[in-house]
Amino acid sequence: MSTEIILPKLGFSMTEGNIAEWLVPDGGAVVQGQPLFSLENEKAVQEVEAPASGTLKILTPPGQSCPVGTVIGEIL
Amino acid sequence: MSPTTGAPDGAVLVEIYRRMSRIYQNDERFRAMLKSGKLMAIYYPVRGQEVIPAAVSVSLTDRDYITTIYRGVHDMLAKGVPSRLLWAEIAGKAGGACKGKGGAMHITHPPSGCMLTTGVVGASMPIACGLALASQIRGDGRVTVAYFGDGASNIGAFHESLNLASVWKLPVVFVCQNNQFAEHTAYAACTSVARVSDRAAAYSMPGVHVDGNDPAAMYAAARAAIERARSGGGPTLIEAMTFRFHGHYFGDAGHYIPKAQLEAAIASDPYPKFRQSLLQQALATAGELDAIDAQIKLEIDDAVEFAQASPLPDVAELRRDVYDMEIS
Amino acid sequence: MANAASSAGNAAANPSATVTTVQALNWALHDALEADPNVIVFGEDVADAEGGGVMGVTAKLSTQFGTRVRSTPISEMGFVGAGVGAAMAGMRPVVEIMLMNFTAVCMDMITNHAAKLRFMSGGQTSVPLVLRMTTGSGMGAGGQHSDFLEAWFCHTAGLKVVAPSNPRDAYGLMLSAIFDNNPVIFIEHTPSYWASGPAPVRGERIALSQAKIVRAGKDVTVIGYARSLLDSVPVVEKLAGEGIDCELIDLRTVWPPDMDTILSSVAKTGRAVIVHEAVRSCGVGAELSSRIHERLWGQLKAPVQRVAAKDCPVPFSKVLETAFLYSAADIEAAIRKTLT
Repeated sequence: MSTEIILPKLGFSMTEGNIAEWLVPDGGAVVQGQPLFSLENEKAVQEVEAPASGTLKILTPPGQSCPVGTVIGEIL
Repeated sequence: MSPTTGAPDGAVLVEIYRRMSRIYQNDERFRAMLKSGKLMAIYYPVRGQEVIPAAVSVSLTDRDYITTIYRGVHDMLAKGVPSRLLWAEIAGKAGGACKGKGGAMHITHPPSGCMLTTGVVGASMPIACGLALASQIRGDGRVTVAYFGDGASNIGAFHESLNLASVWKLPVVFVCQNNQFAEHTAYAACTSVARVSDRAAAYSMPGVHVDGNDPAAMYAAARAAIERARSGGGPTLIEAMTFRFHGHYFGDAGHYIPKAQLEAAIASDPYPKFRQSLLQQALATAGELDAIDAQIKLEIDDAVEFAQASPLPDVAELRRDVYDMEIS
Repeated sequence: MANAASSAGNAAANPSATVTTVQALNWALHDALEADPNVIVFGEDVADAEGGGVMGVTAKLSTQFGTRVRSTPISEMGFVGAGVGAAMAGMRPVVEIMLMNFTAVCMDMITNHAAKLRFMSGGQTSVPLVLRMTTGSGMGAGGQHSDFLEAWFCHTAGLKVVAPSNPRDAYGLMLSAIFDNNPVIFIEHTPSYWASGPAPVRGERIALSQAKIVRAGKDVTVIGYARSLLDSVPVVEKLAGEGIDCELIDLRTVWPPDMDTILSSVAKTGRAVIVHEAVRSCGVGAELSSRIHERLWGQLKAPVQRVAAKDCPVPFSKVLETAFLYSAADIEAAIRKTLT
């Protein structure tokens, strides 16, 4: 059963964010709670943790800006 | 409760723990859901501030009123707002306490005395004076607790409210949750007194400075103030010292919080500390506390499911509750 | 107990009895306090120890009703907020803000709280609060003590706004405002306080959002409230002498306005003039004019005219203060303009 990785809304005015960096390679093993990607918005860069354990499948490469709520990857 | 020292007995302390656990677990779950993008909402974290409302509310009944400000889910949960209504409201659903029309900043639940959550700093206090005024005129014995932060002690409404409450001897307790940051500004940079409680003297009411992370001390200070209000002795200003482990709002990285100060606060986290203390004093067993935690986890699981299943509000709601009659 | 209120109870039996607006308001507050223990009255100087109100509107009430009638410190945020809280607890507070300009001091409590708490709480709490205040130019009180600011509150969803033009309406509207379950801004026109008019029937309420056709007519609809209604009366009478038959409407409740009465009248006459003491731009006249144009475009014989004060603070010097406000000639000119 796969878990979606959703770009979260961090704060009042955030409507989109940029994945600065994936901290686990595509296809790599992920443990729930470990830092998964760096999210950049106008205010700051923050690390977001993995919502589940499994294998990472990246859907959105880094350097791309997308709206909050976008499914940017999956954990299989 | 001990009649001489005002110290809480074991049953009260365990009840305080239960309320703290409820706050802790709900807050953890809110932040987890927000971080994973499963919930999109404005949210003001309360992690680190669990003790104050838990220790205050055990001395209140459903008939007593509270007013609070936007960082108020802990105050609301401690007072008894049902988790389902809280979760659905924060999720903006029709099944929320306010039918999705208020959100985290306006959680309201009159059956448990939760009369107001306001998004305007300081506004909890004049309204608390009004609730207390009603109680005074009716002679119904209710007490009102106004929660606010250290930042709010600098706004005009604070000063007007304390003066008014003192002049009219209103049955209100002003509880300042001093978490040492007013939005992003440190206390010392914006406040002209060393302690918020120093200001009580200016309004001729007792000023109490207490460790808001010490359940027994917080309980005792709150109880004395609540009894004073209830017996016609007028208002009290309590300044309860605490700390917030997260930013001003969810998503705020909190870079303005000095690292050493944050680390020290986390090292002396009141929630696990209290659990330890209960076990050490043999006031509860690990099994009993675990059972309390498990019950709360089930309550939250149910609340999350309820919120997710609850429908979005109908657009027709825009015409309702503007006035008592629906507008066209 | 002898008091001014009960001694004039004969007014209902004597149809020619007249009272001042101050007296009528005093009766309304008295009758409400007597009828319902939830009614409370407070504001600066309202109690008898402080003179029963700066204009005497609350005279003798504290003596009769005790601590239900209280004088407050000069703390508009504090005591208006207290009014909000007491109303949420189920009381019916009537809070005086001494002058309408001072609403600016407590706008947060009025617009962010009183107006919005019913909606934001999803209907769980309500604010049955009356905020009564006085204002009006012509007394040399200057820019911060004379404004009609009703547009601010009409523009805030959740509030009602009432502005009587005569003692009888003041009485009946005050009772309705107090027993309405929504927050009401009740505007009392200062110079009119001492004007006399037919006495009200004690206990008789006048419904909110119900305008009154003061004079029926077929040629032009003239709409006013408070002072502007009074100022329109002699103009309308003068024009009647020339065969211009105006229908004069006293809005009484400025918000929500009685659109049925307004639209039926303008549908009949095809012409409308709106008069208000508040400044012209973005005033209530602009809103009503827009609505009339939107709804009755094909039936209008002329664009809707507005008569109002100039867009500047109320000046002090008498000559300037007089020029600030519309004149009778301005009202007449606006009516004539719709007929050309």
